[in-house]
Amino acid sequence: MKRREFVHTIGLVSASGVLLSCEGGTPSPGRAGTAASGAAQTGTSASGTGAAPDWVRSLRDSDMDGLGPDGKPDPNYNATRTGHARADVDPTQPYQMPLTQEEQDIMDGKKGDALAKVMKTVVAFGNAFGATKLVELGGAPHSSVFNAPPFMKSIIDVFSTCADEGLKSYAPFTVNPRPFDLYNVETLPDEMAMVFEGYPLQPELDYVLTRIGARGMNSRSCACYLSEIGNAPEPGTYVAWAESSAVNFGNSVLGVRTNRNAGGMELLCALIGKAPYFGLMTDEGRMATWLIDVRTTKEPDWGVLGAAIGIKVTEDVPFVAGVDKYFGGEVTKENMHKLKAMGSSTAANGAVGLYHVEGVTPDAKQKGRDLLVEGYQTYVVDDAELERIYSSYPNLWSRNDAKPSLCFIGCPHNTYHELLYWGELITEELKKRGQDKLKIPMHLFASIPVRNHLLDDHPVLFRDMKRAGMSFTNMCALMFTGLKGFGESHFPVTNSNKARKYSSARYFPDDILLEIVMTGEIPADA
Amino acid sequence: MAKQTFKGRPLLPGDLEGEATVSKQPFNTTASYFDNMFAGVRDKAPCTDSDNPELFRKDIADCIMCTSQTIGSTFGGAAIMGVAEMGLGPRAMLFSRHIDSIISAGLFMEDIWNEKRIITIDLLGDEFLETVQTGDPIAIHADGTVEVG
Repeated sequence: MKRREFVHTIGLVSASGVLLSCEGGTPSPGRAGTAASGAAQTGTSASGTGAAPDWVRSLRDSDMDGLGPDGKPDPNYNATRTGHARADVDPTQPYQMPLTQEEQDIMDGKKGDALAKVMKTVVAFGNAFGATKLVELGGAPHSSVFNAPPFMKSIIDVFSTCADEGLKSYAPFTVNPRPFDLYNVETLPDEMAMVFEGYPLQPELDYVLTRIGARGMNSRSCACYLSEIGNAPEPGTYVAWAESSAVNFGNSVLGVRTNRNAGGMELLCALIGKAPYFGLMTDEGRMATWLIDVRTTKEPDWGVLGAAIGIKVTEDVPFVAGVDKYFGGEVTKENMHKLKAMGSSTAANGAVGLYHVEGVTPDAKQKGRDLLVEGYQTYVVDDAELERIYSSYPNLWSRNDAKPSLCFIGCPHNTYHELLYWGELITEELKKRGQDKLKIPMHLFASIPVRNHLLDDHPVLFRDMKRAGMSFTNMCALMFTGLKGFGESHFPVTNSNKARKYSSARYFPDDILLEIVMTGEIPADA
Repeated sequence: MAKQTFKGRPLLPGDLEGEATVSKQPFNTTASYFDNMFAGVRDKAPCTDSDNPELFRKDIADCIMCTSQTIGSTFGGAAIMGVAEMGLGPRAMLFSRHIDSIISAGLFMEDIWNEKRIITIDLLGDEFLETVQTGDPIAIHADGTVEVG
């Protein structure tokens, strides 16, 4: 599968300047001003000049790139992003899902023009996917409408219209992480200027999200289901979420029922409190068509396992067997990060919206192997297969012989226990080695409540982590790696297979990452 | 070429005649409109997806896009709305396979909220995409029939 050379998002100053402006750093002497260096495919970076900034290249890529293992377009690519290819739909049969009288009244405008349009859009979407009805939503929504470059104006206008008519989400909702962090990352004037220029509609978007029911900024996180954020509905709850990793975790680990919605559709569903019932919301749609038979001799690397699964099944539903022993029969706050890593990797390397883990996840605990359809396919994953996947990862650094320059952890956002783990691991190792600081900076991505949880429980450790060269930010890790110039000047390492897929960061297991941050070198046998 | 007729599912029906713009590989919506979305280009829509050799650098404003499905970022729906607002979006999107959830959201939203219809037909079949070539005359009918040639 093709990989980009590096991810770009917002056009900002060179990465060396960005890093030095991270908390605790100092500006690099002689660093130039804000002008973007290096032309994008089509020209220079200034808006309105007829050329897109370099950073936008990142937006071309996602888990659904339609490419085969050889990196070329796959002629057999067929994915609707709803968990099912829907190859059996008869185009000659027009379809209209049945509506209740109340729903029809809304469509007919009896509750206002904006709500009518919301209903019409959601129904049209449901009809396209053969939804049999609309279902009431519970819990709370999660939205991936989180950043506002200029082209988002049209979407913002839609929800402004809704807000003007007093429409609100059926429940306060969470939103993806901030696309920037002016307090810990982009702290220099020229960096901040680039943020404001790149996201001119951000205040407008944040305002309209607030008006229609978004929770406060401190709750912004892709890991909305963590206890510190609290968007974790009960199993079986129908929700309409967006953000691939949250949908993946929600369906699989929480046992909620959601399709993988496009940004904007989840908010429309939130405004009527209903969503079309199809795909991953249905019993039939949650059946597994793959058995993943994990036969590793030790605990697998969860990110690599997820990648293997995602590549194999694309958007089908897999049933994973052979890993329940690593969970003691249940998902806890201490072990949930394993499924967070695996699941996000299935969604990034494939397009998996739901997986089952035998003996562990709610649907699998309830139904066991009855979740497998007749004629399911089997994929055996052993040590050799994981090694094959891991060994296939190319070095996408702009200089293959460079030394690692930073480590980032937290894509998706870290849990409290992950922060604690890394904090204790690093500080203890520094003591053992008689070192004061890491050789390269380590950035930890986590929501503010999760970071504060660590600070409250372990203030001394928190202090020591910062002194050691670890920093905290609540922005999106992928937006961070997409900072302009990042790929030319920085050579990142990470433990996130999702980040590996979407950026130039090199992926390593935790023990190797530890060695890297301690020494500033990649071990020869890594 | 002899006229060939295909029947698909008219999700956003309409009648239209014009020339086909074909992407045999899935169309990456977000990647294709970078200059319009980010660089303020308003007089044309040069395809900016360098991974799509068929369309790269071609002006795809007002096109009748023929492809299998769309791929790329979940911003795809917002992207199509963005270029449509500029008057540069496609006039029609014809899919050989089932429409995907990302582009469908943007197309429906554009139709309902901005009252700008981008005629959309899916499930035209693999033979449709194998047959149609960029530049072919194409006639779209509201019942989901597409005539090529």
